[in-house]
Amino acid sequence: MSSPTEVTAPVAPAHQATVRRHVAGGGRATKARVRATIGGFGVLAILTCLLAPLVGSTHISLLRAFDRTIPFADNVDAQIFFVARLPRVLAGALVGAGLASAGVVFQALLRNPLADPFTLGVSGGASVGAMLAISFGLSTSIGPLSPVPLATLAGAAGAAFLVYRLATTAGRAMSTSVLLLAGVTLNAFFSAVIMLLQYVSSFTEVYRAMRWLMGDLDIGGFTPVIAAFPLMAIAFVLIAFLPSALNQLSVGSDAAASRGVDVARVQRIAFISASLATSGSVSLAGPIGFVGIVVPHLVRLIVGVDHRVVLPASALFGAAFLVGCDLAARTLFAPVEIPLGIVTAMIGGPFFLWLLVRRG
Amino acid sequence: MPLSAQHVSYTYTSRRGAPSFALRDVSIAIERGSLTGLLGPNGCGKTTLLRLLAGILQPHAGTVTLEGRALGSLSRRAVARRIAVVPQETHPAFDYTAIEMVLMGRHPHLGAFALEGPRDFDIAHDAMASTGTGHLADRAYMTLSGGEKQRVIIASALAQQPDVLLLDEPTASLDLGYQMEIALLLQQLNRERSVTMVMATHDLNLAASICDTVVLMRDGRIQAHGATGDVLDGDAVRRLYGVEADVRFHNDAGHLVVVPVGRAR
Amino acid sequence: MAARTSRIVLALLLAYGAMVAGPAVRATTEVAFGEHGGHRDQQSLRVLRVGDGLRGSPAQRAPVVPRRIVSLVPALTEMLFAIGAGAQVVGVSSYDAFPPEVKKLPRVGALLDPDTERILALRPDLVITYGSQSNAEAQFARAGIRTYSYRHGGIATILESLRELAGLTGRRADGDRIASDLQARFDAVRIRVRGRPRPRTVLVFEHDSGTLRSMFVSGGIGFLHDMLEIAGGEDVFADVKRESVQPSVETLISRAPDVIVEIRANPPPNIDAERRAWLTLTTVPAVRNGRVHFLSGEYLVVPGPRVAQGVEAFARALHPAAFR
Repeated sequence: MSSPTEVTAPVAPAHQATVRRHVAGGGRATKARVRATIGGFGVLAILTCLLAPLVGSTHISLLRAFDRTIPFADNVDAQIFFVARLPRVLAGALVGAGLASAGVVFQALLRNPLADPFTLGVSGGASVGAMLAISFGLSTSIGPLSPVPLATLAGAAGAAFLVYRLATTAGRAMSTSVLLLAGVTLNAFFSAVIMLLQYVSSFTEVYRAMRWLMGDLDIGGFTPVIAAFPLMAIAFVLIAFLPSALNQLSVGSDAAASRGVDVARVQRIAFISASLATSGSVSLAGPIGFVGIVVPHLVRLIVGVDHRVVLPASALFGAAFLVGCDLAARTLFAPVEIPLGIVTAMIGGPFFLWLLVRRG
Repeated sequence: MPLSAQHVSYTYTSRRGAPSFALRDVSIAIERGSLTGLLGPNGCGKTTLLRLLAGILQPHAGTVTLEGRALGSLSRRAVARRIAVVPQETHPAFDYTAIEMVLMGRHPHLGAFALEGPRDFDIAHDAMASTGTGHLADRAYMTLSGGEKQRVIIASALAQQPDVLLLDEPTASLDLGYQMEIALLLQQLNRERSVTMVMATHDLNLAASICDTVVLMRDGRIQAHGATGDVLDGDAVRRLYGVEADVRFHNDAGHLVVVPVGRAR
Repeated sequence: MAARTSRIVLALLLAYGAMVAGPAVRATTEVAFGEHGGHRDQQSLRVLRVGDGLRGSPAQRAPVVPRRIVSLVPALTEMLFAIGAGAQVVGVSSYDAFPPEVKKLPRVGALLDPDTERILALRPDLVITYGSQSNAEAQFARAGIRTYSYRHGGIATILESLRELAGLTGRRADGDRIASDLQARFDAVRIRVRGRPRPRTVLVFEHDSGTLRSMFVSGGIGFLHDMLEIAGGEDVFADVKRESVQPSVETLISRAPDVIVEIRANPPPNIDAERRAWLTLTTVPAVRNGRVHFLSGEYLVVPGPRVAQGVEAFARALHPAAFR
């Protein structure tokens, strides 16, 4: 019997010991390393956003686009750059960052790396809102929010509120199993409602609805981005407070509490901020799948699992990822555009299969 | 008295509304430097008491005090700097390394946005060394053996630099070899580092081997509290578990042993 | 245990994703290969057969003039009434609205939900169906009822279908007369706009209200395209050999149409919001010159006998000077 003061020979593990390599080896979140990692992802995001508007299905002259002597109303190249492409790239960055960070937060909140922003029913509610707006031709707008995004937000908010109420008891920590159950149940219910709506709608309405479900960043102007921005900004600010607490929470509620984390409060902030980010993203571009789960996993493969690195890195990589996917969607088969959700699915599906094979 | 509870009660309400008392009017004072065992059958309230002492739960009646101050009056971080908890099992959702798990114990000493500095790393390595897990630092936590995992968790609790260490069934899922390992480790930490410990367990022999004080609980109340030698006897076992047991001092082991003999008539 | 659970969850997730992606991929394939029409409703399926569309056993194909007709296709219902066979119509689809007589008739479902029980209860001797409703057609064939399937296509197909229905219902003379009238009206429009420069036109039939998102326009084939050509317009998307196209904002700006015609069955609730939506594309000639037209009416989107009215409406919008 060995006494703890001796150095015990390591017991040979049953399977490969995973000594993961982090960005610069060693695997510790030292300040310099963290800054370098996040800086690297930041550069990637900025570069992607700078290069993406330069490319498209139509050939344009950048010199002409930026030529101030030509009045904007007459400058086709400038219109294409500033009205068609640039808002699209900005929206893509916002949505990519929003969905990726929401994915990380939900994965920590639900203590499950397979969770994504849509697990808890927010996108189901958003889809019902969008379908209602499309099928019944709703035409109410509020400021820069046109009918379909407005209805989408309303649906998302409704779903999030329902799940929140179901899973929260005053003063106590949320039960993650109730959260998960409530979300999955709501998703199933919303799917049924969506099918019913499609059944009673005309063919074109159904097709438009299906097209919305596939995701689309072609917003044609900055107004939709301006409409979604306040929501996303609040979400990002809230999320910024979470990383350290998410580390603790992902080990266990009691463990986190015993280390000074206000578990109930952190869970609420996590749920609200991630739901806000998801709702804003879905209202802007529809429910684009796989971003919220592929990006966090990819990032963890590179930087490890410390949320203080994973969260900002995922947001930045998510932005670059979605802008890249949108670029592919609008240029691969130009002038035909592939729906964005299909591109992310085509990348995400195989990636997940590969992950599964690799783990096994 | 570093940690004590005065007349605390706690109730779990089921969804159907019928309250069930987990603890009724429990008062307990933990002596500084002691290694106290909370003993009792399943459902007696020992885990609840532990969570109340840790400040994870707030009592519905009564107060828990630390160094004479009510736990509720201290910030959570302040409490966490003094009291650490080792849960029965730890299943992190992500693939943290052992050193990352230990560094999480530094959380109450860091700000919300702070990253660990060199001093934190030193404390973490020190804690791992003291639990014999220093060589496992860069290994993935989930690939470790049961005993190694528990020792890493104890190290992470030590990294909090607490005055009091609360443990919930620390050897419940471990085999005999690891049980011995952990038992000796706890004893050593208690003696060499003067860490006050409270351990909830239903392993009577574990308590008999290392605890200097035991608290017997049943149905949410304390039945007895005192030095192990005085309190732990055949009558106590019969009252708690309905089991006839032979409790005697074992010369080779150097402490009391409890041998169950049969069901109580 | 944890690994096994995550694998099960993963499998479920992938299945769920496939469930969602499945229809998406199918729908996209349909667009890519032109299966989808996109304009009003049911009139958007391609029938795989070419020919007289008549099915049923040889015995039933004896030339008996049908006395009781049920029609699931609004465009063909209109044709029946136009050629004088309206009195024989005993049941119509859920979406029929013209002529006014159909409002009193019993409804028997539509493309996705034909109520075969109700149809059979009406004891028809001819049922007009969509080509994709093979289940329903099989049921009618078993019951010894003739069916005629709708064929999807341009104006030429509309005229052919008209003549076929006229033949079926023993009203050949009326059918020829209606077809000639339509041709005459088309020719009249052609004459009016002859010699005038043909503006590059986009025909928009669907988009999200208040914005330009989710826009569907007519492509280079189909009756809307044909209508545009007769009305003296040059279809900007004539090169896309599909009935409906979903152009990106970039494509719209680069193709720079001179005229934009939005067509709807019913007028938009807030036409100013729709106008404002177009104002973001300031380099598009149609927007700069105020040539964005909003036309509404069922006749614009139903490929039936009222198609000449639609052609005239387009012509008026494209060449106002020719109609003063």
